Amino acid sequence: MKNRENTKGRVQLILARTVAYIILIFLAVVCLFSFYMLIINSTRSNAQLQAGFTVVPRENFFVNLRNAWTDASINIPRGMLNSFFIAACSAVLTTYFSALTAYGIHAYRFKMRKFAFYFIMAVMMIPPQVSAVGFIQLVNKFHLTDNYLPLILPSIAAPVVFFYMKQYLESVLPMEMVEAARVDGSGEFRTFNTIVLPIMKPALAVQMIFSFVSSWNNYFIPALILNKPEMKTVPIMIAQLRAADYSKFDMGKVYMFILLAILPVMVVYIILSKSIIKGVTAGSVKG
Amino acid sequence: MNERIKKPKRLGVSYAKWGYLFILPFFITYIVCTLTPQIMTIYNSFFENYRRGLSQVGPNFVGLENYVKLFTPDKTGSIDILKYFGNTMILWVLGAVPQIVVALLLAVFFTSYRLNLKGQQFFKTVIYMPNLIMASAFSMLFFTLFNIAGPVNQILKASGMIQESIDFLSLKVPVRLLISLMNFLMWFGNTTILLMAGIQGIDQNMFEAAEIDGANSLQVFFRVTLPLLSPILVYTVITAMIGGLQMFDVPQILTNGKGTPDRASMTMVMYLNNYLGGSKNYGMAGAVSVVLFVISSVLSLFVYNSLSRQYKDAPRKRDRV
Amino acid sequence: MKKLIALLLALVMVLALCACGDTKPEEPAGEPAGEPAAEPAAEPAAEPPAEGKVLNIYAWNEEFKGFFEKYYTVPEGVTVNWVITPSDNGAYQDKLTEALLNQATAADDEKIDMFLAEDDYILKYVDSEYTQDITAMGVTDFSSAYKYTVQAATDSKGAVKGVSFQCCPSALIYRRSIAKDVLGTDDPAEVQEQLNSWDKFNAVAATAKEKGYYMTGSFAETYRAFSNNCSGAWVDENNNLQFDPQIEAWIDQTDEFIKNGYTLTAGIWDQEKTDQMYADGKVMCFFGPAWYFNFCMSNAQDPEKGCYGDWAICEGPAAHYWGGTWLLAPAGTDNPTLVADIMNTFINNEEVCSALVKNENQFSNNMKVNAKFAEDPEYGNAFLGGQNDVAVFYGLTDKIKFENHTIYDQLLNEGIQNNLREYFQGTVDKETALANFYKFVNESYPDIVTP
Repeated sequence: MKNRENTKGRVQLILARTVAYIILIFLAVVCLFSFYMLIINSTRSNAQLQAGFTVVPRENFFVNLRNAWTDASINIPRGMLNSFFIAACSAVLTTYFSALTAYGIHAYRFKMRKFAFYFIMAVMMIPPQVSAVGFIQLVNKFHLTDNYLPLILPSIAAPVVFFYMKQYLESVLPMEMVEAARVDGSGEFRTFNTIVLPIMKPALAVQMIFSFVSSWNNYFIPALILNKPEMKTVPIMIAQLRAADYSKFDMGKVYMFILLAILPVMVVYIILSKSIIKGVTAGSVKG
Repeated sequence: MNERIKKPKRLGVSYAKWGYLFILPFFITYIVCTLTPQIMTIYNSFFENYRRGLSQVGPNFVGLENYVKLFTPDKTGSIDILKYFGNTMILWVLGAVPQIVVALLLAVFFTSYRLNLKGQQFFKTVIYMPNLIMASAFSMLFFTLFNIAGPVNQILKASGMIQESIDFLSLKVPVRLLISLMNFLMWFGNTTILLMAGIQGIDQNMFEAAEIDGANSLQVFFRVTLPLLSPILVYTVITAMIGGLQMFDVPQILTNGKGTPDRASMTMVMYLNNYLGGSKNYGMAGAVSVVLFVISSVLSLFVYNSLSRQYKDAPRKRDRV
Repeated sequence: MKKLIALLLALVMVLALCACGDTKPEEPAGEPAGEPAAEPAAEPAAEPPAEGKVLNIYAWNEEFKGFFEKYYTVPEGVTVNWVITPSDNGAYQDKLTEALLNQATAADDEKIDMFLAEDDYILKYVDSEYTQDITAMGVTDFSSAYKYTVQAATDSKGAVKGVSFQCCPSALIYRRSIAKDVLGTDDPAEVQEQLNSWDKFNAVAATAKEKGYYMTGSFAETYRAFSNNCSGAWVDENNNLQFDPQIEAWIDQTDEFIKNGYTLTAGIWDQEKTDQMYADGKVMCFFGPAWYFNFCMSNAQDPEKGCYGDWAICEGPAAHYWGGTWLLAPAGTDNPTLVADIMNTFINNEEVCSALVKNENQFSNNMKVNAKFAEDPEYGNAFLGGQNDVAVFYGLTDKIKFENHTIYDQLLNEGIQNNLREYFQGTVDKETALANFYKFVNESYPDIVTP
C-alpha cells in the first residue's frame, strides 16, 4: 500500500516537474529573445541595422564597443558611476526608511497611526506625472540643478515600498520577538536594527533591487535636473546618442550602450537575489 | 523593567513616541519633496492655468469648469475620459491577470521543496531580465519586430500565412495585445520575486504540518500558502492596479504618444500628458489627475477590503482540515 | 545581507568621495583651460571687461557643437558649457523654458547665453520677452543671409532675435534610373520640366504606377511642399483653427495616391520607406534639403545594396524648405559681445561658411559663399552623379518664404500628419480622423478654437 502510494506520488512529482520545466523554459525563451535581439543588434553596424532585423550576429561587436566607449561627447564609465551612485544611495535610503516607517506604523499604537497609514496609501495613488512638473519648479527655485540631492533624497519617502514593507511585516513579524527584546533591555531603535531588519531581509533585498533598477533607468527627472556632462546618468547619455546628428548617429553604438547599461544592474540583481532565498533561514536561526 | 512585564497590554501606549519618531523622516521628506506639488495639482484643477507660448495665462479661478469640460460628451456623444479609462482597464486586465497568475505559479515552483527545481537561479535571473531593459529600449525592440517591414511580417509572408504585410501597429486588437504582452513580460518577473519573498517569509512549519495532515499540493496552496501570503498578494494586486491605471511609457513609446488606432490605446496618463505637452495646462491636467486619483482610491479600497477580509477568514477553514 | 548593505554603503561613500574629488577642481571656472588661465590675462582684453567667463549654450543635440568647436575659437579665459538635452518627450523645450523663466534670478554663470531652436517652434521663443534684439548686441549685417532665415527670427515688433547657420531649401530627390524608365530622361532640367506642377506630378505618378514604381515612399512625403505654401497661418487673429487650401490639397493628393497605390503608407522616418532607397527600391521621388542625403539616405549609400550616384535633384512642383536650426540670444545673457561675435561668424565669415559647405555638406546661410560653389564648374556631388546640388538649392532660395507661422506650428503639423495617417491607412474615416485632430489640438492648446 505504502509503496503504491509512493510510486503514485513519484509519478505525480515527475509530471509536476515536467510541467514546471516546460513553463519555465518557454518563459525563459521569450524573455531571452528580447535580450538576444539586443545582443545581435549590438554586433551590427548602423548600416546593417538600417537594413532590418536578422538573427545572425555580425562582426561589429568590438567596433561598436570601441565607438561607444570612446565617444567624445559621452563618457560611459563616468555615466555608469554616476548612475550607480544615485541608484545605490536611493536603494539603501528607500528600503531602510520604508522599513523604518512600516515598522513604526506596524509595531506601535499611537493616535495618528491610522491616519498615517491611510495617508500614505492615498498618496500612492496620485499619478506622478503632474507632481513631477511641480517638483522641477521647486528644484529650480532652490537652485538645486546639477545636484544629486533632488534625485536621491525623495527616495526616503516611497509610498509603494512602504506599503510592501508593511504588508511583509504583517505576514512575518511575531510581536513576541520584539517584546522579548524589550525584556532583554534592548532599545527600540536597536531592536529595529538588530532584530527586525534581519527578519525583513528578503523584503529589503527585493525592494532594493526594484528601487535600484527604477532609479538606474530613470530618465525624465534627471534629464531636467542635470546639466553638466560629467554629472549625467546612463539613460540621458543613451537618449543623447539617439538624438545625435547624422554625422555621429550610430544605432549600433546605441544598442551597445543599452547592453552595457544592463550589465551592472544584472550583477546587483544576482547578488541581491541570493539573499532573498537565504534571508529567512538565516533570520529565523538568529531569532 | 518589571512594570513592563506586568502590564504587557499597555506596552503600546508608552512606546507611542517611537512610532512618531520612526515615521518622521518619511513624512518630512514626503511633505517637502512631493506633497507640495501634489496639493498644487489638486488646487490647480479649479483654475484656468496654462501657457500661451512662454507667457502664463491665469491662474484664474473657474470652479468646476475643468471637470465639466472633462465630462462633456463630444459630437458623437461619447465622453473622452471614460473611453480612456476603459482603454486603460482593458490594457491592464489583459496584462495584469496573466502576470499575477503566472507569477504566483512560478513563485510556488521556485519555493517548493518537493519540486526542488534545478537551475533556479538561471530562471530567476532570466525572467527578471526584461525588467532591466529600459522601457524605451524594450518598446524600440518590439517596434522593430512588429513594424510593417519587420521580421514578424517577413516570417509570416515567407511561410505563406499571409499575402500582404500587416501593419500591426495600426490595428486595435494587435496594438492592445502587444502593449499587454510587453507589460506582462516587463513585470511578471518582478511580481514573481515579490511573491517568492512573501512565500519565503512563511513559517516552514506550516507547510510541514499541512503535509503531515495529508494535504495534497493543491490543498496546501489554497489553504496554507494563499491565506498566509495574502498581505503580500493584496500588495501585489493593489500596486499592479495602481501601476495599470497609471500605465504610460509602454503605450506612449510604442504608439509614439498617439494611442493609435483611433485613440484606442490612449491611456488616462497619456491623456493627461497631452495636456502638459503643448501648453503646460495644469488646470486640465490637474482635473485628470484628481479623477484618476479618485478612481484609484475607490478601486484600491475595494480590493484591499475584500481581499483582506476574504483571506483573514481563511486560516480558520484550514484549522478545520 | 548586513554585509551587503555595508558593502553598498561603503561603495556609495567611496563613490561620493570620487564624485566630490572630481567636481571640486572644476569649480574654479575652467579646469580644461587651466594652463592659459594660470597667467592672468596677459592679453589686452578685446572684449568689454564686464563679460562673463562662462558661456552656457542650450541645445538638443551635438550637431552645432561640432561645427562650433571646429570653426570658432572662444576668447581665452571663457569656458563654453554645453547643456545638451535630447528632445525626447519634449524634454529639451521643457528645460529650456524653465531656465529662461528663471533667467532673471539665476547667477551670472548659470544664465543661458545662447540657445538653439528649430523652425517649427522658433516663434514661441522669438516672439517673447525672453529673447533679445541682436542688432543692439552688434549683429547688424544680414545682407548675405537668406531673407526667410532672418524673418523666422524676427518678432512681431520687428526685432531680430537670432540667426540660422544653415539654409534649408528642400528639393525633389529622384532616382535617375527610375526617372529614365518613367520619364525617358534623368536630366535634372528635363525632369523638372515634367514635374514642375502638382498636376504634372500627379499625372506622372500614374505612369510610374503603370511601370511598376511608386511615386513617393510616405504618406507625408509631400506635406512640407504644401504646408510651406499656405496662404494663411494655422490660426486666424481670433485664434480660430484654419484649414488652408494647401493642407486640403495635401490630404486630397495623399488620399488619391494611396487609393491608387502611387505611394506607400509609411511615415517619413519609417524603415519601410528608407528600405526603398536600396538599389532594388521602387520609389522614384523623395523630398528633402541638403541634410537629407546623409541623415536619411544611408541605405542609398550602402556599399553592397545601395545605389550611390543614381540620384539627382530638381526643384519639383513647389518650392519649399524643411527644418533648420537657429541660434537665439536670450535676454539677460552676460556675454552679449561674444554671442554677437558667434552669430556674425556663422553668417558673415566667408571662410567659416565655405568650410561648412565644403567639409560638412551644409548649404550655408551666406549667399556669397553659396554662389561661389554654385558657379564653380569643378564642384559636383558624387552621390548625385556629379550634379552641382548647391546650384539647385541656390536657385530655390529666393522662392521660399517664412510666412504665416505661429507659436503653435510644431504640434499642429505633427498632429495633422499623425491623425490623418489613420485615415489614409483606412483605420478610421476622414471625419473621425479630423475629430481626433481637433481633440489633440484642444488638449495641446486650450486657446485655439476648433470647428
